[in-house]
Amino acid sequence: MHPGAWLVWVGAAGLVGVTTTNPFYLLPLFAAAYLVHSRHRRDDRHARAFKIFVLFGLLTIVTRTSLVLFDVVTRESTAHAFLEGLRLAVLLSVFGTFNSVSDPFRVLRLAPRRFHEPALAAALALSIAPRTIDAVTQVREAQKLRGMDTRRWRSWPALAVPVLETGMEEADVLAASMDARGHGRGRRTRYRPDRWTWQAGVTASASASAAVLFVGSALAGEGGLIVSTFPLRWPEATTVLVAGAFSFAVPVLLPLGRESS
Amino acid sequence: MKAAITFREVSFAYPDAEIDALREVTLDVPEGAFVLVTGATGAGKSTFLRTMNGLVPHFSGGRFRGRVEVEGRDTVSSAPRELADVIAYVPQDPAAAFVVDRVEDELAYAMENLAVEPAVMRRRVEESLDLLGIESLRASSVRSLSGGERQRVAIAAALTPGPRILVLDEPTSQLDPQGAEDVLAALQRMVHDLGMTVVVAEHRLERVAGFADLAVGCAAGRFEIGAPASVIPRYASGPPVARLARLAGWEEPLPLTVREARRRAPRLASPAHTDIPVTGRVLLGAASLDAGYGTRTVLRGIDIDVRAGEVIALMGRNGSGKSTLLRCLVGLHEPSAGTVRIDDRPPIPGRDVGLCPQEPDSILFKDTVRDEVAATIGWSATPDDPTSILQLLGIEDLAAHHPRDLSAGERLLVATAATVATGAAVLLLDEPTRGLDTSSKTKLSNFLRARAASGGGTVFATHDVELAAEVATRVVMLAGGEVIADGEPSLVLGDSAVFAPQMTRVFGPGWLTADQVADALPAEVP
Repeated sequence: MHPGAWLVWVGAAGLVGVTTTNPFYLLPLFAAAYLVHSRHRRDDRHARAFKIFVLFGLLTIVTRTSLVLFDVVTRESTAHAFLEGLRLAVLLSVFGTFNSVSDPFRVLRLAPRRFHEPALAAALALSIAPRTIDAVTQVREAQKLRGMDTRRWRSWPALAVPVLETGMEEADVLAASMDARGHGRGRRTRYRPDRWTWQAGVTASASASAAVLFVGSALAGEGGLIVSTFPLRWPEATTVLVAGAFSFAVPVLLPLGRESS
Repeated sequence: MKAAITFREVSFAYPDAEIDALREVTLDVPEGAFVLVTGATGAGKSTFLRTMNGLVPHFSGGRFRGRVEVEGRDTVSSAPRELADVIAYVPQDPAAAFVVDRVEDELAYAMENLAVEPAVMRRRVEESLDLLGIESLRASSVRSLSGGERQRVAIAAALTPGPRILVLDEPTSQLDPQGAEDVLAALQRMVHDLGMTVVVAEHRLERVAGFADLAVGCAAGRFEIGAPASVIPRYASGPPVARLARLAGWEEPLPLTVREARRRAPRLASPAHTDIPVTGRVLLGAASLDAGYGTRTVLRGIDIDVRAGEVIALMGRNGSGKSTLLRCLVGLHEPSAGTVRIDDRPPIPGRDVGLCPQEPDSILFKDTVRDEVAATIGWSATPDDPTSILQLLGIEDLAAHHPRDLSAGERLLVATAATVATGAAVLLLDEPTRGLDTSSKTKLSNFLRARAASGGGTVFATHDVELAAEVATRVVMLAGGEVIADGEPSLVLGDSAVFAPQMTRVFGPGWLTADQVADALPAEVP
């Protein structure tokens, strides 16, 4: 699918996540993110990146909730912290899905020419995470086969040193390779721009409508977007907004284009 | 002939280095030639190649004197990017040099920077995909590719901008023999049809020597260019035909290819074949092994025993399942059916079986070579002494060096030593001769023979037929995830059109190494 459609999808889903702490909206949004990831992820290597984002999300919930311990622990404050954590976790999952379904270097091509440099830097920065995960896995395996007990914390230099040193060397190689291949000469052309398909249109308009719905409700103060924790009340939800959160799963229903990657 | 690249009194030293990597190099690389760069590891080959497009000194720093001109442009006053339209460079490890994610986009990357018209880009990408035989990979992520596929993609990406000069650092190190032949033939076609200048650094001379019009020899920073037959023998001991000629005292010029050797070789009857009895105790056994990733089956019904005193060469084309089999044998990959057993139990990775990785850098983390080996000894609680293990590999003189300061070949020997130190009964090596020059390769061969003699079991996956001919006691050939041949090297390799070593090609089945033939040659041969 056109990277622009994914950009609209992630932007809209992020906006929805920001407007609400209501689990009846956040959980459908997470479900949609998971389904989209399952169907549209580029390959198994990216599946791993999504899992890590979700793990980070769970960690966020735990950390955010336990921060309450530094304050007066009440039912209200715990619920408040939990919901804040949940919102962050769902936002992370949404971003994880975006990472697994879209190629950052294809997204980068959408940037206007004068922003090519910063956009490329951003895309390269995004690719550091999967590269590092690959490197850690590789080093861990290799050291295990040399007799290291990789579960022991004391052995961390045996993992960190090769990962960091190889990473630094690779960064040098990459910089040299980019220059040797003409990066930074100024004028550039664009190879095979992605085509805007009807699937992209449906995805973008469904996502944008959902975002408008949520932002509208937020401005009007309707729909129980923010759960009241002082006093603590059971969250209420409207069917329209639940459906709106679910609508981020629309790409799952669309047939995959021939070049869906 | 017009020169594509000229070197005039070029000297260069890396920052903080005491000795010069290049010393007053003066030579011309003529246009439209296929040039092979040869010399021992650490002699300055990679530095020399990187000087050609200005990566040295622009990206290396250091002291640079003299003048290098590429198609008349000075490499000091022009940055590498300003030379990108005339010269392309493929580094030793292409994986780190990939910029974008999709194979197709990677092929277009340099052209986009050079502002090539979209229609032209489209056509060149298609041509390049076909030329390197990677059309099926166009939509893949470059990170998901195997080593051999990465090399092909990197070469294809270098060709698309239509450079006049192409510089490649060990471009076939991860390709199987047929794949290497195809890639080199494709490059030669660019030289013949388009007048492109191709400069290749390569240790596996048996693969490249036949393609080269000229050779550059280098030793300790000094370089000279000349006819392959006169330059190569003075800077390297290979290829095997040249070694034989030297051992047998043939007159100059020494042969470099099978064809040249065959013209001068006497006829030899096949050596008397005696079956080597299989005696050693089974150290590690795999039975009816199936394995795969997700729904993709990679290995089918593999039976293999590793016995004490055996050195097994695991061969087969790229993607035939060699690496997966090694991962199963070491206990890292769970087979979907069948068993891997050592003394009737599954092997413990790193204790019963050690695997030296393809990338030595992924295990080296200490400040000295000695500490590196000592670290393994500490983990494995073996009573060994680091020095004695370094001696097995012949690298005791490197004990005090920092592993990162060593050449790629030396690092591989250090990584091997660090794996041997586990004291594991079975040692697995994944492509152990990548980047190894002749002298390092000899050290590795000696080690493998000594290990066999002392009753250790070894399995190594390799594309290097000459190494297999030299040290293997058994060759197991894989294709499509199945064992298609398993037996003595003379039988398995002798019977193959693709995997036959040079001596077999010249003298017929049964002859594997230059030393073996030299011993058998009658004394009166010219």
